[in-house]
Amino acid sequence: MVYLTRKIEFSASHLYHNPALSAEENQRIFGKCNNPHGHGHNYTLEVTVAGEPDPVTGMVLDLKELKEILEREIIQRMDHRFLNYEVPELSGQIPTCENMVRVIWNLLEPRITQGTLHKVRLYETPDLFAECYRNGAGSR
Amino acid sequence: MSDGRKLRVELGRRYRFAASHRLHSPQLSEEENGRVYGKCNNPYGHGHNYVVEVSVSGTVDPATGMIVNLADLDWFVEREVIEAFDHKSLNEDVAAFRNRVPTTEYVCMEIYQRLKHFRLAKLERVRVEETSNNAFEYAGEETHDRMAVQQGRKAK
Repeated sequence: MVYLTRKIEFSASHLYHNPALSAEENQRIFGKCNNPHGHGHNYTLEVTVAGEPDPVTGMVLDLKELKEILEREIIQRMDHRFLNYEVPELSGQIPTCENMVRVIWNLLEPRITQGTLHKVRLYETPDLFAECYRNGAGSR
Repeated sequence: MSDGRKLRVELGRRYRFAASHRLHSPQLSEEENGRVYGKCNNPYGHGHNYVVEVSVSGTVDPATGMIVNLADLDWFVEREVIEAFDHKSLNEDVAAFRNRVPTTEYVCMEIYQRLKHFRLAKLERVRVEETSNNAFEYAGEETHDRMAVQQGRKAK
């Protein structure tokens, strides 16, 4: 098995607010992330696909195709957007790294037809990330 | 395509500390220490800017969208590791290294031991970067036989 990782970047704004909680609770739990007009990050997304290289092409999957999938599913949906209001897949969820990584997984998994989606890692800052993988796959 | 296995989510957070150490084993002769540890055996020690990457897993709370509140994780790592290691001599100031060479393998394992009691999420692994070219990972004893401490070294 070979693991292939492609990295993309996008920029987006968000805020953390749970309408089921009081203003004080929102402030206590989410702190600065609860500021009403939101704030932004430069996100880095690493997508890892596992598979055997095709004997003819030597590729697990065509990187160009993966690039197009990421452009269509992630960049067009999330880049320069306000995640809370403009990404329907996130509506009703707090757009934390943890929730975003699951949404991204669910967007990408059905699109990867050569090899299998192995891991998705999303950096909100260089010091904070969440990653998502199937139980038993391990994190690498 | 989906294969029915449950999705797992981990949260990773990076922390930093600066510390000095000296690699010297009392079980080896002076010559052997010099040969094994090279410059790291210089008697007065030397320092690094260490990066510690902590990965935890758990259920994502639907109310907060979080595995664990970062403030709680930060507070715990700060108290258990950063306060004890930052701007210290690992050999002299950290009890675990009084009788153990403070290689980054052992630093990584010591940090894991300090963090594994975190109650709000499950510690998955600790990665320590001694420099931007050296990284070590430890994931506890269950996977010790298979994974042990993994070292990555970038080619110079």
